[in-house]
Amino acid sequence: MVRVKSNFVIPGVFDEAGFAKVLKKRIPRLDAAEPQARFDILDSHDQSLRASGKALIQIDGTLILLHGPRAETQYCQGNGKFVKDLPDGPVKAGLMGFPKLRALMTVGAGRVERRAFAILDNLQKTQVRGTMKLMSSEQGQVTVLTVQHMRGYDRAYKAVCEKLTQIEARNGKAEPVFDGLFPDAIIYKAKPEICIGKQEPSIEVARDIIRTYLTVARQNEAGVIADIDTEFLHDYRVSMRRVRSVISLFKGVFSPEQTAAFKGEFSDLMAPTGSMRDLDVYLLEKDNYFNLIPPNLHHGARAMFAQFEKDRAQAFERLSRRFRTQAYDKQMKEVTELFADPSGMQPGPNADRPAYEYACSLIWKRYRKTCKLARSITPDTPDETVHKLRIDCKKLRYLMEFFALLFDRKAFKTIIKPLKRLQDNLGLFNDFSVQQDALLKMIELHSNTHGRTDAQLALSVGGLIAVLDQRQKAERDRVVANFKHFDSPDIRHLFRSLFHQKED
Amino acid sequence: MKIIACYSNKGGVGKTATSVNLAHAYAGAGHKVLLCDLDPQGASSFYLRVKPSKKLTDARFFEDIARFTKSIRASDFDNLDVLPANMTFRDFDVFLSRMRNKRSRLKKALVSAGSDYEVIILDCPPNFSTLSENVFKAADQIVVPVIPTTLSERSFTQLVGFFAANKLPKKKLRAFFSMVQQRKNLHLETMAAMRNLYPKRFLYSTIPFAADIERMGQNRAPVGEYAPRSVSGSAYRRLYDELENGVVSKR
Repeated sequence: MVRVKSNFVIPGVFDEAGFAKVLKKRIPRLDAAEPQARFDILDSHDQSLRASGKALIQIDGTLILLHGPRAETQYCQGNGKFVKDLPDGPVKAGLMGFPKLRALMTVGAGRVERRAFAILDNLQKTQVRGTMKLMSSEQGQVTVLTVQHMRGYDRAYKAVCEKLTQIEARNGKAEPVFDGLFPDAIIYKAKPEICIGKQEPSIEVARDIIRTYLTVARQNEAGVIADIDTEFLHDYRVSMRRVRSVISLFKGVFSPEQTAAFKGEFSDLMAPTGSMRDLDVYLLEKDNYFNLIPPNLHHGARAMFAQFEKDRAQAFERLSRRFRTQAYDKQMKEVTELFADPSGMQPGPNADRPAYEYACSLIWKRYRKTCKLARSITPDTPDETVHKLRIDCKKLRYLMEFFALLFDRKAFKTIIKPLKRLQDNLGLFNDFSVQQDALLKMIELHSNTHGRTDAQLALSVGGLIAVLDQRQKAERDRVVANFKHFDSPDIRHLFRSLFHQKED
Repeated sequence: MKIIACYSNKGGVGKTATSVNLAHAYAGAGHKVLLCDLDPQGASSFYLRVKPSKKLTDARFFEDIARFTKSIRASDFDNLDVLPANMTFRDFDVFLSRMRNKRSRLKKALVSAGSDYEVIILDCPPNFSTLSENVFKAADQIVVPVIPTTLSERSFTQLVGFFAANKLPKKKLRAFFSMVQQRKNLHLETMAAMRNLYPKRFLYSTIPFAADIERMGQNRAPVGEYAPRSVSGSAYRRLYDELENGVVSKR
């Protein structure tokens, strides 16, 4: 069967006269333009739709999801919404793979001029119908043509599509829309690739990584202030944590005094973001919490979440105010400038070691330390040791990711996979324990001076803690098995061959 | 799905104009409509600017589902498709019963092609033939335009007689007065006499004799498109309303 509708993205303004000429016997007729409207291109902050070859356009109350020649249309607003909150329809269905935690936001906007057109035969009978959208931004223009097949006029439809294929933009799927309208747009990447050379001095590598992640962190500030979704703050914190881990893990690269100063500064920068993130996590887990406990305890849980929401609003208010202060902006600017200029650094004893050799020794040491700790874990080891293992794994992972470009990609992938599994396992173990502590703390806060608290609330919290404790134990039991996976002879051999060749 | 036939055993009574304007009215009200042009002169196709298909001349046509679905053409109006066939079909009743049967291959093919028609309007040729007999049997309603003149009166009497002789349900016959000229006494007298004679057969709505309807040939479009507010435009809308919803509105 013939496809009923097709979309073509044409760079710039559509040449109507030229098109009329190539159509020969058929005559195009364009209606008058509708009044101009605003269009928004919606995507997540990291433009995951664009990466998947789709473009989501919002014009008035209509969402149009363009992907290749196909397009879905749905009458609703999408700006600021999560995909799960959109009304059911073809666009929502087309957004299946969209990140669940990301909200749709405007990544570009402009004016659009819409006109309907028809391709007529010599009897003035319409054979193909369509609409033309001329989209203009400050940087460029593209035309999106939608042609609609009419029953019984397959030949005309095919002919028009063929002609349009000849003039449409060729660089694949929805990319021409972005290219044509926003050629200079910078795509946000939470984990940009950092170019490092094998012989590059380690202090340079450290500076490169820190500078990059400071930029990434700053790209998330506006989103945190606008409170678009929780991933902005998460990405901000992850970037800052990477900066901090460079400072603490690259031992001897900076002088001890400067290392201590950096540690203090970045810890101060990050500290005010902690409470809001914790509350975000609880609120994201809301439905799960309710599923953990029986319905007769839900009353207390609702009260608890109402409190969380209140606290979260307060934390947000504090943090966004902080992000908007001049003092904060100045501090971030100064730090960024400091790392941009090599003369501001106080090199330590390892500052000039070449990156490759330094990376090998750092990773090898961390690996051995992690393994030693992991092997010591038995069912009787205290939880503290398991927590320590989690942190060691995290450090190992960070180190490997920082230097990933210097090593064989495939071998790295093989190693990272079981490591990631172990880390997920340890991460859950940690989350369950942190959540129990937080719940206890909340009860403490909401008790009166005699240590009495609301019975409903206490019941829910008690129920939750019981379940969380069981889950934590279950995760703990999995640690040994997951580590065994990671500690397989193959992986051990891989580690040795990648990071410990010289002594062989 | 319902089948509405526009039929008259007398020519030149405004049959094609009725089919096209009724089809347009049904489509405008949101029904998915297929207008079958069964008249060899292909006049309803002409009104909708659809070129008659020359290839569809063999009687086996309706058995070839692919060819059938392929020869349907979209009109310029939403929800209105046209089957521009210009021949008398021997197995037309088979075709119509297949259209009705949800499980027939024909119906499935149409549904899968996105054309699950709710209303089929047949523009029939003006004679008594196997085709018209098939149509009488298969149609849910047979809309008969009658000009209030002596000759048309005779034709209508013949038609009712044919139904009686062949034991066809007369209830299906929905006649209405067409090309009515209110200033002619003959028209008014004939209308009164016929309503008296066939009290249940005639619709209240009438279609006037109007230049707007004659202009369909020039404009090649339904009256509702180029003169929606004219007397004839609203007359066709009233006709639709009475046929579909049983609503009778006074002018």
